[in-house]
Amino acid sequence: MPEPLEVLLLDDEPIVGRRLKPALAKIGCAVEVFENPEKALARLQEKEFKIVVTDIRMDDIDGMQVLEFVRERWPESKVIMITGYAMMSLAREAMEKGAFDFIAKPFKPDDLRRVIAKAARALGYTLDFEAAAPEGG
Amino acid sequence: MTSIPQNQPPAVGAGGQAERTRLAERAEGIRRALVERPRFSLRLQMYLGFLAAFILSAGVAVALVYNFHDMENKIRFLEIVNDYVMEVEQARRFEKNFLLYGSNLSDALDSVFQAEQILTRNAGELAAVMGPGWSQVMLPKLRGYQALLERLGRLQGAAGAQGGPARQDLQARVRKEGQEMVSAALALLSKEKASLSTTTRRSRQILIYSLALLLVVLVLNAYLLGIRMLGSINRFGEYANRIAAGDYTPITPSRRYRDEFTDLALAINAMIQELENREAVLIQSHKMRAVGTLTSGVAHELNNPLNNITLTAHVLQEDYAGLSDAERQEMIADVVQEAGRAKKIISNLLDFARETGSQLEPLDLPHLLQETIDLAANQIKLLGIKIQLQSSDNLPRVHGDSQQLRQVFLNLILNAIDASAKGGKIQVIVVPADEPNYVAVKVIDFGSGIPAHILPSLFDPFFTTKGRGKGTGLGLSVSQGIVAKHGGRIMVSSQAGQGATFTVVLPVTTIPAELGEGRHPEPANRAKA
Repeated sequence: MPEPLEVLLLDDEPIVGRRLKPALAKIGCAVEVFENPEKALARLQEKEFKIVVTDIRMDDIDGMQVLEFVRERWPESKVIMITGYAMMSLAREAMEKGAFDFIAKPFKPDDLRRVIAKAARALGYTLDFEAAAPEGG
Repeated sequence: MTSIPQNQPPAVGAGGQAERTRLAERAEGIRRALVERPRFSLRLQMYLGFLAAFILSAGVAVALVYNFHDMENKIRFLEIVNDYVMEVEQARRFEKNFLLYGSNLSDALDSVFQAEQILTRNAGELAAVMGPGWSQVMLPKLRGYQALLERLGRLQGAAGAQGGPARQDLQARVRKEGQEMVSAALALLSKEKASLSTTTRRSRQILIYSLALLLVVLVLNAYLLGIRMLGSINRFGEYANRIAAGDYTPITPSRRYRDEFTDLALAINAMIQELENREAVLIQSHKMRAVGTLTSGVAHELNNPLNNITLTAHVLQEDYAGLSDAERQEMIADVVQEAGRAKKIISNLLDFARETGSQLEPLDLPHLLQETIDLAANQIKLLGIKIQLQSSDNLPRVHGDSQQLRQVFLNLILNAIDASAKGGKIQVIVVPADEPNYVAVKVIDFGSGIPAHILPSLFDPFFTTKGRGKGTGLGLSVSQGIVAKHGGRIMVSSQAGQGATFTVVLPVTTIPAELGEGRHPEPANRAKA
């Protein structure tokens, strides 16, 4: 068993974190979930996460600011943006600012796993992707 | 925050149908009231006026013709009497010659005969002037004189000499009779001359007075026609202004009779109805535009519950066997809750988009505004704009159509959102207006403001400052139409760089009994035709 890949997940919808934390754990990710961007930034200030997954649109601090912060603080980390369909221009902007990839709501757990696996490969990790899909998804 | 309206409006169609039926009945009632008056057309008034003038002129002509006829008779009579007098005087001259010089008496008799001929030949004319008793006056005198002359002639033939008492006596009687006969004829002549001049004077007076009377009749005729036509034209001018201002109250009868202007009123009422139909279509289509604008926010907001449902359902599918009952229950509860959230997000918009009949009711403005803000909530959230609603306590209610007023406020709020920078602020304030019995709603943004030179055209149809394909330029125009129908108005004030304030002023409910009665709030200057 390889050492777990450390992932920070930031989304102001609590259900997203509740469902994704166990779903990502199955492919070997150690996930810390945040609903409040300020708290997430504080945590990012002190600890490096290999992968940061953040929603773009949130009330006080938006995902773009989180992206900029991570690019500055941990240039090695891969940032994956969650967007809505209506925000494709924002997604492109995020890519220009150095995001690894983006994923549009609504998405399936597998969609995110696939993107995370891609990021992990880019970082030199190998994830047990099959572990998550017993029904062959 | 969302809320479901307490009183669900009737299903599409049902309310609108009843409303349409009621409106059609009202329009029919007004039409009948207009038509079921006694007809007194302008044409008839003109005909009557000219007929009166004609009858007057004809009367004058008849009077003059009669008078001229009278004068002709009198002149003819004077001529006859004149001839008669001349013959009689001739006879007397011959009589004098006979008495003085003993000349031929037959000349005198001849003249008397001529005089008698004049009388009998013109019996008709004389009778026309003097009446049937004329022959009793002149003929006996003439015949008496003739008889005396003949006796004198016979006496002359018998005696052959001058003198003799019988002859003296006879001569005296001849002179006397002749004198009387001539003076009677002269008296008649002067009397008839006086009568003729009276008749002439009467002709002149008839002419002068009837001309004055004709003038009065014509002036009166023109005056009455003028009052009637100009009054109606002025009234219809007022109607046109009123309709242009958006007041679509039909024209109702204002006179006791109907005429050509009634036909015009009927046509204008038909036009008003058509305008109203079109305005309803315009309002509805503009509402759908607002709905379209709101849809992007709704679509985005819907992504959140949809994403939650998708994730939960997939996890449930993946891990079903490995989950405890409690975990499954929790996930199903999450799905149910998020589905409810999704429904809430769209239900407000669906309520707003639904086409309903116009319905007037007393409205609580702060409540209505909160609903409107909720409607735009997704848009506001999407752009990170802060919106603040402030209202005075115990505000009176306004009488209006909640759907239409919500549309007005939504339009103003969406405009304010467009004008605001990302993360900007919008204030919505409800306060009593400066003038009594009005409430003011102010929508204030802190954007870049509206340049002074375009302020006057802001409410013009098709005027827009938004880019091509973004604005139709109908929002404020339609809003103004709706507010005008509610008896209120929209004002705008702005300073470049300081944002803009749109103020909607609406009259408060004063007569609750009117509820559901009139389609529009009854303005003080209700239209009359």
